[in-house]
Order: sequence, then C-alpha cells, then structure tokens
Amino acid sequence: MGLSKDLNYAYYPGCAAKQIQKEADWSARAIAEELGISLHDMPKATCCGAGNLQEHDPAAGLAVNARIFSQAEEMGMDIATICNTCLQTFSYANQRFKNEPELLADINEVLTAAGIRPYEGTIDVKHLAWVLVDDLGLDKVKQKVQNPLSGMKVAPFYGCHALRPFEVFAGRGGERPLYLDQLIQAIGGEVVDYQGKDKCCGFHVMLAGEEDFLSMSGGHALNAKNEGADVMVSPCTLCDMAMGAYQAKAEKKMGKKIGLPEMSISQLVGASLGLGKDRLGTDRLHQDPTAVFKKYGVEL
Amino acid sequence: MAEEKKTTTAKKAVPKKTAAKKTTAKKAPAKKVAAKTTETKTVKKKAAAKTVTFRVKRGERWQEYDVAYDASTTVLSGLEQIKGDQDGSLTFRRSCRASICGSCGMKINDRSRLACKTKIKDMIEGMDHRNYQGRDVISIAPQGNQPVIKDLVVDITQLFNKVEAEEPYIKEGPERVEAKDKTAYEQVNAVSNCIMCGLCYSDCTELEVNDNFHGPAALAKAFRFVADPREGQKTDRLKKLSEKGGIWDCVRCGMCVDACPKGVAPMEAIGKLRHRAIEAGITNNRGAKHAIVFKDDIRNGGLLNEPMMLIKTTGLFGAIEQIPNALHLAKKGKVPSFFPEKIEGLDEVKRMFKVLEETELDVETKVLDEGPGAG
Ligand code: SF4
Ligand code: SF4
Ligand code: FES
Repeated sequence: MGLSKDLNYAYYPGCAAKQIQKEADWSARAIAEELGISLHDMPKATCCGAGNLQEHDPAAGLAVNARIFSQAEEMGMDIATICNTCLQTFSYANQRFKNEPELLADINEVLTAAGIRPYEGTIDVKHLAWVLVDDLGLDKVKQKVQNPLSGMKVAPFYGCHALRPFEVFAGRGGERPLYLDQLIQAIGGEVVDYQGKDKCCGFHVMLAGEEDFLSMSGGHALNAKNEGADVMVSPCTLCDMAMGAYQAKAEKKMGKKIGLPEMSISQLVGASLGLGKDRLGTDRLHQDPTAVFKKYGVEL
Repeated sequence: MAEEKKTTTAKKAVPKKTAAKKTTAKKAPAKKVAAKTTETKTVKKKAAAKTVTFRVKRGERWQEYDVAYDASTTVLSGLEQIKGDQDGSLTFRRSCRASICGSCGMKINDRSRLACKTKIKDMIEGMDHRNYQGRDVISIAPQGNQPVIKDLVVDITQLFNKVEAEEPYIKEGPERVEAKDKTAYEQVNAVSNCIMCGLCYSDCTELEVNDNFHGPAALAKAFRFVADPREGQKTDRLKKLSEKGGIWDCVRCGMCVDACPKGVAPMEAIGKLRHRAIEAGITNNRGAKHAIVFKDDIRNGGLLNEPMMLIKTTGLFGAIEQIPNALHLAKKGKVPSFFPEKIEGLDEVKRMFKVLEETELDVETKVLDEGPGAG
C-alpha cells in the first residue's frame, strides 16, 4: 500500500529534468509547494538506467533500482517522479521485487556486500500526476485554481512508458487512463481527443533512427493540432523534449507547420494556479504559449 | 445511398424480435403459474436480446449493423450473426473460435484483438484492469500496418515473410550446446506460444513509420532460436539482428506486449536479444553504443552525462550532425554541462558495481515448462 504519509514523497525528477528539461523540475516543485505536497530530494540517487542499463546489464539495472528504492524506504516515503521512462523502469523493477522474493534476496546480497542498506520491497512508485489525482484529490486542486483555463483545448499525450505493459503501473496504465484528462478538466480545460494520444513519441530512437522519431512525434502533434488543440501536455520530460523541443525539426521533415505549444502537465497546472513564468519556466518552451494562454485569460 | 439502405435493413432485423417477445410477456398474466414461468423465460430472453451497434470498416466506408449479445457473446459471434442473418458479403477470417489459430485478429475499438477472445460485453462495459473505457458502439477495422484485401481481411504476407526471414529453424554450427534438462528451455518457453495472429504487428508503433522493421513477432521468433541451446549459430544471428531494421529499431513502446493474446511479450524478448548482442560484443551500432553509455555514466558520476552520451552514441561525426539540434536547444537556454553534478555516495555505487562484476547473477524473467506439451 505504499509508505508515504501526509503528502511527503521521495522526489525523483530524472536526469533529463536535472539537465536539459529543467523547467519540468521547476514547475513540479512549484505546483507541489502551492498544493501542499512535500517533495524531498534524493541526493544519493543515481540515474535509473532508463531501460538501457537494464538491457546492457540486467543485474546492474535491478541493483541500481533497488539501491534507489532503499533510499526512499529509509526516508519512509514512496517515490514520485516526473519522467515516464523513470516511472516505467522503476515500476517494472519494483513489481518484480514484490513478486519474486528470491530475486530481491539475490539483489539485496549485492547491496549488502557493497555496504548498502537492502530494499525490503515496501515502497510504491508514482507519477506526480497520480499523486495530484489519487493522493491529494482533484477537489483540492480545484480549490487552488486562480486562472481557470476557461475551455482552453488541451491535448493530453500520456506517453507509452506510463501505459505499457499495463500490469506494472498499479492500475494506472493500459489503454485509456484518465488522470491527465481529469486534471485538465479540474483546472478548466477541455480535453481534445486525437489519433496518437496513446502512441509513442519516438524519443528512444531519436539517435538511432531520427527519421522515424520525427514522423512519430510530429505526426501526433499535427493530429492534435488538426483536432483543434491549443496546447499539448505530457507527463514526461522525454515526451516534452520529443514533441516540444524538437517540433521545429519535425515540421521541417514533414514540410508542414504544426505550431502547437507543448508543455509538461506541471506547467499547465502551474499556470492555472497563477504561478508565473519564472517559476514554471514557460519561456524555455520552443513554441511560446503566451498568446494562446492570453486568449483564454490566463496570464503567465 | 446503398450503404444507408443496407444499414437500415440491418438495424430493423433485431428490434422486431424484441418487440415480438414483449407481446408474449404482456399476454402471459392470464394464468398465474404460467405467467411466472413465462416471465422468467422472458427475462432470460430479454437479456439475450440486448443489442449493440457494430461499426465495421469496409474499404473507405463504415457500415453499421445491430448485433444481439449476452454476457458471453464474442465479437466473432457478432460478426458471424451479421454474415449469416444480415449481410453475407461481410468478409473476415476465422477458424478455431478458441484463440488458437490466430486468424481472427482485427482492430476492435482501436486496438488489435482476437475477435473470438473479445467479449462484446467487455467492449461496452469497459475493463478496469486495463483502463479500457467502454463504448456504446463497437468499431471494427482491419489490422494495421498491412494492406487490406477486403473488409477485415489483410494481406499477411509481410508478417509471414519477416518471420521466415529469421530462418526459424535450428541451424548446425559451433555454438550448439546439448541441453541437459528442461530448465535449458526457460527462455524458449517464454516466446514459443506465438500463434502468428499478427496483433503485435498490427499495433507496433515503429512499423507505422518504418516498413523495414522486422517487427515484434519476427523478433520474438528470432529470440526463440537465439535462446535455444541447440542452435549452432547464435552470434551470427545476433549480428544480423543488430543491423538496420532489427532489434535496435524498436522504440520500446510496449504495444506488442499489451496486444499479444498469448503472453509472448515481444518487447521483453527484444530486450533480451539486445543484451545478448552486447554480450557477444556486437556493439558497432548506435543502438548498442547508446545503451552502453548508461553503465559507465552511472558508475562514474551517478547521473547521465547528456552531451557525452551524444558523442559516444553517434560518434564525432554524428555529434557534428547534431550541432544544429544543440544550437536549437541552446536558444532556450538548454545547454547541458559536460560535467553534470555528481551524486552523493558515489563510493557506494562504485563498490556495488565491483560486487556485481564478481557475482554471476541470472536475473532474466523465465517461463517454466509446465508439463507435457508445454512450450
Ligand atoms: S515495443 Fe518495439 S516491437 Fe513492440 S510494438 Fe513497440 S516498437 Fe514495436
Ligand atoms: S507474438 Fe503474440 S501478438 Fe504477436 S503474432 Fe505471436 S501471438 Fe500474435
Ligand atoms: S478464430 Fe482462431 S484465434 Fe480467433
């Protein structure tokens, strides 16, 4: 059932939010503070391995994850992250640890031999967006809204590493979860339905197959735009990068203008809470959302 | 016009029956005892006579049919009702009706599913465990990523050719190992239940943008042979699989895992192939290079060093190609440092990697052989 009490979480932003997508980290911290959620840093946590370490060296992948889980366990908290790939990597490992005691014992032997506290298998791994919907509650979010989105058309992009395999996400994964839709509606937005909302942003072949990556990310953004979206949001720093920061490249490849501001769900929620662009880092977005926001009476 | 007409006739067929039953129910109360029996019967029949609209993709157009269903009616029986009672021209594949032959794969409410395994009731009421939200009208379309022949029938040649291209048979060679016991097949068991239904192929997001990708079913099959102890040319297979279109083109979207009706989990098999390819030293490609970076970075500093990752993945020339991207990011102040901060407790991480190096640990998921005929 997890460890966190009174909205305290071991906060794991992931490498991308620490380096390139800093605005995802800033806005997550800003909305958490505003909503009374305490995010506690994990200064000893490494990179999660992003599935890459797990393929290269599966045992090391699990050990690295167990070490991070053990830190959260020692803090007495569940992990809250803002990156889907971290979420998937962790959820997969944590599910295995909880279901395969022998595996956990083997990995703990490694940790113990290295002088690291073993993991007892008690924490849950969550996305910050789930924390808002499940633990805090949508009513509390609604109470804090200063600038309702007034029907702004928002396209949610869930991102595949928060959806599949559906079994690992504690009931939050699968074909059509609704937590982003619910958050968008709670802050006054209107959800746009479009082809590709549950597909892949292509980030993980960005370097190995740039063409494929751009067709994916650009295609979904264009579909959303064509369905009338004013903005697109995702819960993942890597999707943000794929669909937002690289949108201009996709436009070039497709020979079509997309022009759809893409941002993290924390930035959109933050805007509705009346937090300014300094705290949300919205001026770092590659498609400036200021004009669209203004249209709906939301000042940044 | 023709479509409109057909739709209306099709729709009429069912409500008529319902109306007829209602009349019987009203007549019944004349005799008390008889009324009771009739009523129970009516209730039962009424439940069976619930109807739902199937919206079926037929070439460029969608055609609607009403279908009667109860708690156990499958989408396939629905289609058979249509073909038998309403419209003999509707074309689809099926054979076993028991999720064995793999013929009846199609897109049912946007995802590829076996029509014979999918209950109409679930499609309408939803399935919480998968966060599938029910819908009043069931949309049925042919599988994706393959050319359509007619209605719900697609040309499966591509899928079969790609599986065949993996040379799905044991080859003689120096790497052959005589398997001693059942545990030697724990990896093979995991993927050998494939029924070639193509659901994974149909939903694969990489195939949507890249025809040359081998696809999940073929790669799962390839793993079946790489993992078989008796296979004599494992490394040779891994080399071929590491070429363009192979294991490193998968975006790890997981569609194939959720689509597969047999628990084959192709994405997991692809991960295991990648692991084996790196182990075999086949690392001269961007995919493998990229995967390898993570271990060194975590070990040396704890976090991923993004700019160095680029150079290590793509090589210096590749990194130069990436300069416009870097400048584009820099416009928004996104300049990652070549020296990201190091984490606290790095000594601990280093010790852990040292222990790992000295420990033989097989942590791969396995599927046990469960009795005669298993796997
Ligand atoms: S995980 Fe890979 S093989 Fe499976 S559907 Fe996604 S891209 Fe295709
Ligand atoms: S791997 Fe699964 S989904 Fe793909 S063809 Fe085989 S049985 Fe069907
Ligand atoms: S009819 Fe054989 S699998 Fe559905």
